[in-house]
Amino acid sequence: MLCLVLLLCHGAVASSEREEEREAMVKEQVLARGVKDPTTLAAMRTVPRHLFVPGSMSHQAYQDRPLPIGHGQTISQPFIVAFMTEIIKPGPGRKILEIGTGSGYQAAILAATGAQVYSIEIIPQLADSAAVLLKQLGFTHVETRSADGYYGWKEHAPFDAIIVTAAAEFIPPPLIEQLAESGLMVIPVGSPFFVQTLMLIQKRDGKTISTSLMPVRFVPFKRADEE
Amino acid sequence: MIGLCNRKHLSLALVSAALLAFQIALLQILATSQWHHFAYLVISIALLGFGAAGTLLALTRRWMTARQAQLLPLLLCCCAVTLAGSLTMTQSLFGGFDSFLLFVDIGEVLKLSAVALLLLLPFTCGALTIGLIFTLETERIGSYYFANMFGSGLGCLLGLAGLSLLLPQQLPPCFGFLALAAAALLLPGSRPATRVVLVLSLALVTIFLVQATELELSQYKDLRRALDLPGATLLANQPAAAGQIHIVDAPVLRGAEGVSLNWSGEMPQAPAVFINGDSIGSLPQTAGGDSPRNASTFALPYALGIPLRVLVLDAGTGVDVAMAIDRGAETVVAVEAHKPLVELLRTAAPTRVSQIFNNPRVTWQTLVSRTWLARDQQQYDLIILPKVGGFGGNAGLFALHEQPLLTREALQQAWSKLSPQGLLTVTSWVDYPVRTSLRLLATLVETLEEAGVTTPQDRIAAVRSWGTLTFCVKRTPYTKAELAAIRSFAKRWAFDPVLLPDLHPEERQRFNRLQDDSLFQLFDAVLGPERAQLYNNYAFRIKPVDDEQPFFSQFLRWSQVNALINLYGQRNLPFIELGMLVAVLAAGVLSLLATLLILLPLTRLPKGSGTHWQVLIYFGGLGVGYMWTELALIHRFVLYLGHPVYATALVVAVLLIGSATGSALTGRFRVCRPWRWTAATSSILLLYVVLLGMLLETTLPLAMPLRTALAVLVLAPAAVIMGMPFPLGLRLLNQAHRAEIPWAWGINSCLSVVGAALATLLAVEFGYSLLLLLAATAYLLPTTIRFRVS
Repeated sequence: MLCLVLLLCHGAVASSEREEEREAMVKEQVLARGVKDPTTLAAMRTVPRHLFVPGSMSHQAYQDRPLPIGHGQTISQPFIVAFMTEIIKPGPGRKILEIGTGSGYQAAILAATGAQVYSIEIIPQLADSAAVLLKQLGFTHVETRSADGYYGWKEHAPFDAIIVTAAAEFIPPPLIEQLAESGLMVIPVGSPFFVQTLMLIQKRDGKTISTSLMPVRFVPFKRADEE
Repeated sequence: MIGLCNRKHLSLALVSAALLAFQIALLQILATSQWHHFAYLVISIALLGFGAAGTLLALTRRWMTARQAQLLPLLLCCCAVTLAGSLTMTQSLFGGFDSFLLFVDIGEVLKLSAVALLLLLPFTCGALTIGLIFTLETERIGSYYFANMFGSGLGCLLGLAGLSLLLPQQLPPCFGFLALAAAALLLPGSRPATRVVLVLSLALVTIFLVQATELELSQYKDLRRALDLPGATLLANQPAAAGQIHIVDAPVLRGAEGVSLNWSGEMPQAPAVFINGDSIGSLPQTAGGDSPRNASTFALPYALGIPLRVLVLDAGTGVDVAMAIDRGAETVVAVEAHKPLVELLRTAAPTRVSQIFNNPRVTWQTLVSRTWLARDQQQYDLIILPKVGGFGGNAGLFALHEQPLLTREALQQAWSKLSPQGLLTVTSWVDYPVRTSLRLLATLVETLEEAGVTTPQDRIAAVRSWGTLTFCVKRTPYTKAELAAIRSFAKRWAFDPVLLPDLHPEERQRFNRLQDDSLFQLFDAVLGPERAQLYNNYAFRIKPVDDEQPFFSQFLRWSQVNALINLYGQRNLPFIELGMLVAVLAAGVLSLLATLLILLPLTRLPKGSGTHWQVLIYFGGLGVGYMWTELALIHRFVLYLGHPVYATALVVAVLLIGSATGSALTGRFRVCRPWRWTAATSSILLLYVVLLGMLLETTLPLAMPLRTALAVLVLAPAAVIMGMPFPLGLRLLNQAHRAEIPWAWGINSCLSVVGAALATLLAVEFGYSLLLLLAATAYLLPTTIRFRVS
């Protein structure tokens, strides 16, 4: 009981730590780039990102960049986390599956919106540390497990949304099956440190439609008369 | 008994062989554990070691020459131990470094610097030995230079042989023994303490050999990530000079790249294959209609019918070969340059894979695909080019990677091999901002135009899935039935046609939407009259590349760097076009280091008799010219000989052994006008610029032994003459300006470093012919000053 109280206290203390930095992050990196969903912004303001990055990089936690977390994984740039969160419209009553728990930060943001999160991580060490941290911080709406994300989490399907943060060169059919009708699946695509596009997959009338979303707008070609 | 003089020659040859063999092993070690870009680092560290040694020698010449009997074996022992233990020390002492984190963590930059300094040690110690012997034996410099170059030539062959027989991490200790043998040869006359040092060194090198550590791979390396998966097992780990092969199996590894969202079948588990730590794909698994690959855009050509004769270029793990057999092809010619990989998959792979590799309908050709295209006389109903780009883009990592199959000339050759109804197909991952598929389309369109097709749009079809885009170019215009078949295939698997002769704009985004129409506008611009304007105005270089500059993935346009920084932010820019930026950064840093470590200390030397500038131009020209010649010739002979490793070994060995012979011959010459030989070198290189391409093209159909002999014959004259100016120049200085010798050595090393760092950048920007022309110019420089005894 004493432990639980301490953990809860730690969570409460942690969320008030570095609040100014979080506020600056939201204002300069997230709001300024067009993410306006109040639920998402509130979650970004609340979750202590610095606790999800390795201790040696804690001072860089609120910078506008992804950071390495070991095992060839990264914690995404704050803007990308916010952008993906806004797209899948999380909130109370929504059931979300995450493939690739990583540091646990994305799961924490989703849980902070009030959604019920199920998160799968294939690397046991990452799965264990994320589970411990999420528990310590009091995110009771997150359930994690270490497994092959290919099969999804059948027992809790269908899901209103699925985030595949550890994208492969294919999209597993079981995940599409476990996506609820009108559900949304979002997949960041790019190199470990630079998300180039986000793939949004929507399920309508049993059929899937993919949409490529670009986090950074790019004007590719100006005709001579436009210059 | 061997006399001291002969022992010195032999010792010099052995240490030179050890250093070059180590350099080659290091190339593969760094390519496997980090990036192939570290080839620059290795070559430059080696040259920097030589330069720094020259400078050190210049500053302490008297002290060193007075103690040469003790110093020479001690330096060789030091070289042997640091060489043998380089890997253990860099990995365990500093925990290695991770090249992928260089742009996000300053600590990694410091680690990289520490690793570079550690790697510098064996080269500096070895070079000090070589330099000290040169300084002591200036009168007989020709024969010593011969031993040095001959040893280096043998070292090159030894390094490649070692990579074929042993794991790369086992090689440094083996080459350490060579350096120890060199030390042992110089022991007579030294103090007992030196002998103790030799015995201790022998013990240390043996320990390093016994405890040859596993390579520590970057956590972002494909192989590391696969091995980190639960239940991962290493099925094969085979050394090969063309690239170490790993095959990894894990319950969660599946081979189903780019499969349709409509695919509801199994995605079978499949082991993955890695060359030098980079994934080259999965092994083929299921047969017939069960294969998920049939539900990817890769299957587009089969929607148009069953091709009887199929050619698969850069066949890799054989997935396209498997699909061709499964889809009913009568004969398949598969071309793959990595011979040990083909042999391994033929003999030691799981049954399904070895069945494909040993299928009587399949003929495997183990040579460079371009060489096969140039030599082959057959016609094919379907030619499959390898997939271009990587899932999610590759952050420009391949900017400096030569891709000879994606040049205008390559596609023209492929086009000429198509049967009357033949198809050429190529697939790319869709990247953003659009670069790869755009340049691919531009190359296909220009190929058709070159072949006299006035309306390329009638013969190009392209379909796009959520991640891949496949082009099919047909020898004749598509018929209505064929267009219907493409539409039916696309609809079944939720793909969108992007290019069809009768395409309606609304067809392009039915299943896979893009946030804007830019991809389609750009494609239409390539097919329309705006193409030239697009080439000039687009933010990236997308004009087709040719054999002169076969860097298909070099998209960076320097004038657009500021605009890209504004768009993506400074921190993200490196991840868009990493390869080119790393090369530029490396060239800058190395030039700075060369100046600091080599040139600056030399300014402390007493000034000579006003020949500083002459020495700078003469020896500097030689340094730059040699490096540029070597790299440009390697490029020329890769396609000719058909095997990159073989071509590199042959060119480097002929150049070094030829130069050794040339330097040995200089003992017979008077030295008053050494610049005459640089003029001769320059003339031969100019002849190469004009005639070599034509000669190689004409003789390409000859059998391999004849081509090899011809290559040696063509290279040898230049190699012999290129070996003369350096020893002649040193002898000249020895006669008239002895104080300038260290300056000459330092300048030569410094500009070799800068030359090596600049070579690829020059080739990327201006092409290999210009690089060879610049080499000829560099050799011409000494003739302008007529450096001679006054």
